[in-house]
Amino acid sequence: MKLIVSEGNPHGIKVLAAAGLWAGGADIQRLQQEEKVVPFLAQPKLPALQLDNGNFLFIPNAICSYFFLSSGKEQSDLSNQWMEWEAAELQPASIAALYAHVVQGKKREEALQSIQKSLHHLDQSLAKTKSTYLLNGSLSVADVVVWASVYPLYTDLSSLPEDLTHFKNWFTNISQLEECQKAAESIVRGQGASAFKLYLQKSPAPLLPSEKTACN
Amino acid sequence: KMAVGELGALERCLGLKEGKYSSKAQGGGQVPVLQINKGPSLAGLATIASYLAKEAKREELLGASIEEKAIVQQWLEYRITRIDRLSSKEDIRSILKDLNSYMEDKVYLAGNTITLADILIYYGLHPLMADLSIQEKETYINVSRWFSHIQHYSGIRQHLPSLIFIKTRIYSNLH
Repeated sequence: MKLIVSEGNPHGIKVLAAAGLWAGGADIQRLQQEEKVVPFLAQPKLPALQLDNGNFLFIPNAICSYFFLSSGKEQSDLSNQWMEWEAAELQPASIAALYAHVVQGKKREEALQSIQKSLHHLDQSLAKTKSTYLLNGSLSVADVVVWASVYPLYTDLSSLPEDLTHFKNWFTNISQLEECQKAAESIVRGQGASAFKLYLQKSPAPLLPSEKTACN
Repeated sequence: KMAVGELGALERCLGLKEGKYSSKAQGGGQVPVLQINKGPSLAGLATIASYLAKEAKREELLGASIEEKAIVQQWLEYRITRIDRLSSKEDIRSILKDLNSYMEDKVYLAGNTITLADILIYYGLHPLMADLSIQEKETYINVSRWFSHIQHYSGIRQHLPSLIFIKTRIYSNLH
C-alpha cells in the first residue's frame, strides 16, 4: 500500500501519525497538492491511501482507521463518536480558525475563538473519564484524529490554554509521542502555522456551518 | 428531524425495536442522539447507525474485511460532511459526478455485498435523486443503476417513495 501526502497539508499530520503508530511498513510518497491521484474524484484530493488491490481511500479519518484496524485493534462506538464529532464539528472549526489566522491575518487569539467550544468539550470529557486518553485505558485512533485536528493551531505547545488543564495535559502527552512528533514535523518543518499557508490559499475559503445558519 | 426518521427506518429494516431519540447541536446543525439503556447516549448519524447494525447482529453491514470497514467508514463520513452539507446546484453536480465515476465498475459502495454505506448514502441521496430529470438520471447512469438496485432491496426503502428509472436510454446521443 502507498500513502500519498502533500506539502503543508494539515490533514497529512493525522494519517502520517497513524501510519507511524500502527502501520510501520507503509510506503510514503510526497506530492504537490494539485496532483490528481484518486482516479474517480474530479478534483485533486490528498492525502490518499492506495491499497494493494488498487482501491483508494481519500478521507483522512478512514485512512487512520484502516491503519488502526490493520494492527489488530477494534473501533468502539465511543471511538466512532469521537471521530464523527471531529469530522462534523472540530475539523471545520479548526480549519476555519487556521485560515482566519494564517491567510486572513487575524490575531491568533481572535482566530481561535471558533474552536473554544470544542476545546471545552474535550476538556470536560477528559475530566470525566479521568484517563490519559479519550477512551478509557489506551491510545486509540480517536486520540490521534482529534489531536491532529487541533495541532496546526498549537504547533507551539507553550501557547496552549492554561485554564483547560485536562485538554492541555492530554494534548501535550499525544504531541510528545515519537510518531506524532515525527508526523507533525514532516509537515510543519519548523515553520509553525505558516507552513499551512500555501495549502490554505489554494483551498476554497472555509465557511463555518454555524455562519451559514446565522445568515438564514 | 430527518436523521431521526432515517434511523427509525434503519431500525425497522434491521428488525430492531424503536429507540429513544433526541437531538443536539453539532457542527452547525442538529445531530441525532440515542439513549441506550445499558450505558451513556450516543450522538451522530454514522455512530448510531453502526451501533444499530451491531445490535441487530448484522456486523457484515459494517464491512467484511479491514479494507471494507475503512471504505464503509469513508462513505459514512462522506455522507455527513459532503452530502448533508450541499449548498448549491454545482455542489450536487460535483458529488454526483464523483459518485458516478466511482460506481462505474461497482455494484455496491464497499465490497461485493450491501453495507451500511449503501443504505446511508441511499437515504442521503434520495431527495436529490427525486429532483433529477430523466436526462440527468441518464447523465449519472451508474449512480442511477445503483440507486434503483438499493431501493428494491427488501426493507430498506421504508416510507420513501420509489423513484422511477428508465432502463433503456432515451438520450443516447449524449454518450
